[in-house]
Amino acid sequence: MTTLFDSTRTVKSELNKQKYIASDEISTIVYLAQKLGKPLLTEGPAGVGKTELAKAIAGAAGRELIRLQCYEGLDESKALYEWEYSKQLLYTQLLRDKLNDTLGKAETLAEAADKLAKEEDVFFSERFLLMRPLLKAILSDKPTVLLIDEIDRADAEFEAFLLEVLSDFQVSVPELGTLTAKHKPFVVLTSNNTRELSEALKRRCLYLFIDYPTLTEELAVVRLKVPDLNPKLAQQAVEFVQKLRKADMRKSPSISETLDWANALVALNAKNLDKETLEETISVLLKHEADLQKAKRQLINPPLPRHKPDELGRFSGN
Amino acid sequence: MESRILQLIAALRASGVRVSLAESAEAFSAVDLMGIQDREQFRLSLRATLIKDVKDLPVFDKLFPLFFGAGQPPPMMGGNPMDDMTPEEAQMLTEALRQFTESLRQRMQRLMNGEQLSREELEALGQMVGLNQVDDLRYQNWMAQRMMRALAFPEVREALKELMEQLRQMGMSRDRIEQMREMIQQNMDGMREQIERFAGERIAENLSDKPRGESMDNLLNRPFHALSEEEKKILQREVKRLAAMLRTRIALRQKHAKSGQLDPKATIRANLKYHGVPMEIRHKDRVRKPKIVVICDISTSMRFCSELMLSFLFALQGQVRKTHAFAFIDHLEYISEDFNGSNADEAIASVLWRMPSGHYNTDLGWSLQNFQDGYMDTLNGGTTLIIVGDGRNNYYDPRLDIFSAMTRRAARTIWLNPEPPHLWHGDSDMSKYAPLCTNVLKVSNLRELAEAVDTLMAG
Repeated sequence: MTTLFDSTRTVKSELNKQKYIASDEISTIVYLAQKLGKPLLTEGPAGVGKTELAKAIAGAAGRELIRLQCYEGLDESKALYEWEYSKQLLYTQLLRDKLNDTLGKAETLAEAADKLAKEEDVFFSERFLLMRPLLKAILSDKPTVLLIDEIDRADAEFEAFLLEVLSDFQVSVPELGTLTAKHKPFVVLTSNNTRELSEALKRRCLYLFIDYPTLTEELAVVRLKVPDLNPKLAQQAVEFVQKLRKADMRKSPSISETLDWANALVALNAKNLDKETLEETISVLLKHEADLQKAKRQLINPPLPRHKPDELGRFSGN
Repeated sequence: MESRILQLIAALRASGVRVSLAESAEAFSAVDLMGIQDREQFRLSLRATLIKDVKDLPVFDKLFPLFFGAGQPPPMMGGNPMDDMTPEEAQMLTEALRQFTESLRQRMQRLMNGEQLSREELEALGQMVGLNQVDDLRYQNWMAQRMMRALAFPEVREALKELMEQLRQMGMSRDRIEQMREMIQQNMDGMREQIERFAGERIAENLSDKPRGESMDNLLNRPFHALSEEEKKILQREVKRLAAMLRTRIALRQKHAKSGQLDPKATIRANLKYHGVPMEIRHKDRVRKPKIVVICDISTSMRFCSELMLSFLFALQGQVRKTHAFAFIDHLEYISEDFNGSNADEAIASVLWRMPSGHYNTDLGWSLQNFQDGYMDTLNGGTTLIIVGDGRNNYYDPRLDIFSAMTRRAARTIWLNPEPPHLWHGDSDMSKYAPLCTNVLKVSNLRELAEAVDTLMAG
């Protein structure tokens, strides 16, 4: 694999140019994965920028990003390749005359069959091969970044198949023979940890756990992605989100939700994070009714301090 | 450096992290690549290659500094307060020190000088408190405390207080005393840190020297009643892993069933692209998920087995269409409701807390009567009835009539018993129950339990 980045510092600065703020941890491990030529398995809660990381890497390296979104029931024909039967059929119909010409001169049935067999390659060529993401990444003329998103949603069976592809980057298509990768793609797998991945897959990957960002990190992300939001408000907003994460919610707000919220605040032309603004916009952050009620009770209209000092202390960020 | 990394890996394994050979090789090539100058990068290269599970990250974070220093240079000592004393002050100090015993004086002098403990001294201290026998990091602080006590830390602290008082009375300036106190405090903190670190490192080393004999395989084969608390915890984790493995295997088995009833709707849909010529045949999914009614004996003798069995069943939840779980000691209780939450461990704990076990009060007969009265309708032609218990009934009526009615209603009956047949005597009614069951399996360790569940799902 050609070198993308020549040091961890370049990883960091290049990702930064893609508007992705990488911690030292992320940049070191990305660099390591690239150097060792190993797939990178990223895990973490939803919405912390796992997919975004792959996009940023592709952008930074100037490579095409090929994405395979996993889901239950995903199989080889959806992930690797499929023969485009209808196109083959269409071609045969349209080329009937030409075929008649070729086959018409044949004396016997056997001869005609032989002639047809010679042309067989036309119908089983890459022209009729419907390339799915994995094959696309393997056959691409230029090096690519292959993102296998939410691998934990695919079945264990598919995981085993993926292992085979990831270990030597070649696939055999019975009609065409073995296709080997011209360039080994940089592979990023993401998982939301909804089920345990197989030991074998984990063994082959480098592991990166991305957690919710710290206050400074998140603030930096907000400032970078939503530059229109005024700094003071950004600070308040991020502090509020961090508080929400500490409170025990059914679904904690993710970074992407923080960004949505920041955008909403800009759109509403909010000046201050007062009670009304909060009540109007909080549904952008919290998606469960129970969470909403809880946040309203505890954070927006907190009980008076002298009644419940401990409760306030718990959410004041320490 | 290499042997240090290997020790870390061994310690990780001893703490229950699975590190394969390929992964340790990978760790070395990562370290080769990143170098060891930058400590943070070194740490990350090891972590990304060795740890593949969020749950194991804390273990790594705890062990790493013990093998590769805490990142800072050795603990800072405050310095020697006597360095810039006037002769008079020094005189005062010597005088004040005179009242203490020889050994105490030496110790105090030492603290004031701000000298670190030497490696030999630390070794000797460790020897004294038996540090070499400890291979559990939870004892780090306790060990460090014992070592400090062996150094007579508390006495020295008291003596120093006295010394300060003495000096004050002798007319030493307040500032000077305050300065001395601060320096000594720093020295003490430094020494404490040194000791704590040493204890941690030594324990981690012991951990990595721990013979690998205590590995999972042995644990899997160990009978339930011979397990320590610690081992039970490891087993609980292993149960989850085994369950995940079984789940995959069962899923494969269900997927691979490529014959059976034709699914016309799916077939037509799949073959639209072939002009409706049926090229791909689709079959109806064969649902092989059993419906389970499980009755667990949770009296003292059976408790651990039942606990594992329950967590196993609930880890397999997705493969089971419907579970009704009951627990009994002297009477029967329906416990499925406890398991509606997401956390099986808590649920099990709550059940065990609700039904404390007494002495010799197991009564299966009466529990069967309870079952017949309230829950007979949970059994039907598609149900697998599982009894987990040793069949020891304290000479109560075994109520074979109810049991045989139950086995007739259920599709099959499987009895999991930790005791082998040659122990079925005394108050055991097992030999009476056994002929009525479809299957009696001996389950006295985790491996047998896993096999039992496997047969259960295969059936």
